[in-house]
Amino acid sequence: MQCEACQKKDATVHLTDVSNNSKKEIHLCDSCAKTQGVTIKSYMNKAAAYPELLTQLVQSQSDSGTEDKDLTCPRCGISYRKFRNTGKFGCAHDYVVFKKGVVNLLEKIHGKVEHRGKVPLRASDQIAKQKELRSLRADLEKAVREEAYEHAAQIRDQIYSLEGRADS
Amino acid sequence: MDLSDLQTGAGDWLGGTGPESDIVISSRLRLARNLADFPFLSRATPKERGQLERRIQTELKKVLSAEDIRYYALPPLSPVDRLFLVERHLISREHAFGKGPRGVCLGAKGSISIMVNEEDHLRIQGLSSGFQLRATWEQVDDVDSRLEKLLEYSFSAQFGYLTVCPTNVGTGMRASVMLHLPALVMTRQIDKVFQAVSKINLAVRGLYGEGTQASGDFYQISNQPTLGKSELEIIETIERVIPKIIEYERTVREQLLEQRREVIEDKVWRAYGMLQTARTINSEETMDLLSAVRMGVNLKIIQDVKISTVNELFIHTQPAHLQKIERSELNSPERDITRATFIRDRLKGDSKNNGNGSSGRGGKGGGNHKRQRTK
Repeated sequence: MQCEACQKKDATVHLTDVSNNSKKEIHLCDSCAKTQGVTIKSYMNKAAAYPELLTQLVQSQSDSGTEDKDLTCPRCGISYRKFRNTGKFGCAHDYVVFKKGVVNLLEKIHGKVEHRGKVPLRASDQIAKQKELRSLRADLEKAVREEAYEHAAQIRDQIYSLEGRADS
Repeated sequence: MDLSDLQTGAGDWLGGTGPESDIVISSRLRLARNLADFPFLSRATPKERGQLERRIQTELKKVLSAEDIRYYALPPLSPVDRLFLVERHLISREHAFGKGPRGVCLGAKGSISIMVNEEDHLRIQGLSSGFQLRATWEQVDDVDSRLEKLLEYSFSAQFGYLTVCPTNVGTGMRASVMLHLPALVMTRQIDKVFQAVSKINLAVRGLYGEGTQASGDFYQISNQPTLGKSELEIIETIERVIPKIIEYERTVREQLLEQRREVIEDKVWRAYGMLQTARTINSEETMDLLSAVRMGVNLKIIQDVKISTVNELFIHTQPAHLQKIERSELNSPERDITRATFIRDRLKGDSKNNGNGSSGRGGKGGGNHKRQRTK
């Protein structure tokens, strides 16, 4: 691939510039990159540092246990196997304990896994926060996918600050 | 147990007064709720069931005090009384013949009923005449909002209201509309409706809900998924499709009148004649004949019977209603005789009261011309 600036040398610097949600690729040779003031090192570090951080964040929220047939709810004593046989939960906590299996099942039944309806008033503050967090994490995942790392970093900071509020 | 005030009143929803009530009998909506402090009923001990019932009963009284409500514990009720509540669509069959402490709280006018310890701790139901899901939702939503201030529900931010059965989770809402579709049944178009409706994730059921056969050409259309859409979005899905079915039924009725008027009139008048004269009649035949009469009244073929009378007859000729009216237990052949007598009397009452009204004009002018021509 030729350098887009001088059109002579081979392009060795490949930049992905994301602005206004559109992705633009720039290919330059070493010397043109330098004259255009592109600091290769900083970009590389940034690009390398974000995904790692972000992947961790993204993973932490999707990590929700496994579909283990031998799981048993400590509160009501019902096993996942028994639940699947009867189609009835034993208590509300089953939704947490069997989460992975439940998500798959709900996807099959309803085609969706996220509640969008009424929220009890007494739960609404906390739930609004959780909802916002979930939506931010989805945005974050999208930003990472689109390699919009600057934007992703902003979202990450928002998540941190929301979580900070949640801790306080 | 005294259910007599319910017995004489038909319940507002049978009045035939709501929007589109020639085709839409009723709109029904229920919310499933569970209390956070108790295990689900599938794992609750009899003692916990008792505690649950008392707890809910106490709070219900606070919330609904203004509405002249009554609470009925089900175990002490006779089987006839319980079946009576099922026929009235106030409780489910499972609830009527279930086990352990459980009950139902009935609001005034038979429009709100709250089942306690059914499959979920609470099933809040609203029932209205005609096509008015939104108003029914507002009514039920209001009761639910007042209750949630006093009771902590099992709720998760991700999954919404947590229910015993995963098919109810999320909104916990089942909204359904009961339709009377005789013309679509007669012309065998009804399967097309089923297919179209199931494509948009709505379910079709019979008169008494899940697992019941459609009788009297009644069909209930309800939402299948309860999770991932808001209550109003679910209602909107149903609201979009019902007018199309209503339109379809009306179009087919008009076509039938245009092309086969004699056949339709014959069916209607014969049905009316049978009901006016029969001395013994079973439930199934009653439903079929009443369905034809109902269509006849709506098409103004029959003019001296009120639609509310026909609507009431559908419910009042059910086994438990007849036994409540007769104040004695009746076996099946006895019920058939009582039923026939009851129907004759009710229809006679209407034609007497409306004697003058029937001489007035009704139906379409064009229809009358056609009828004269064929004579």
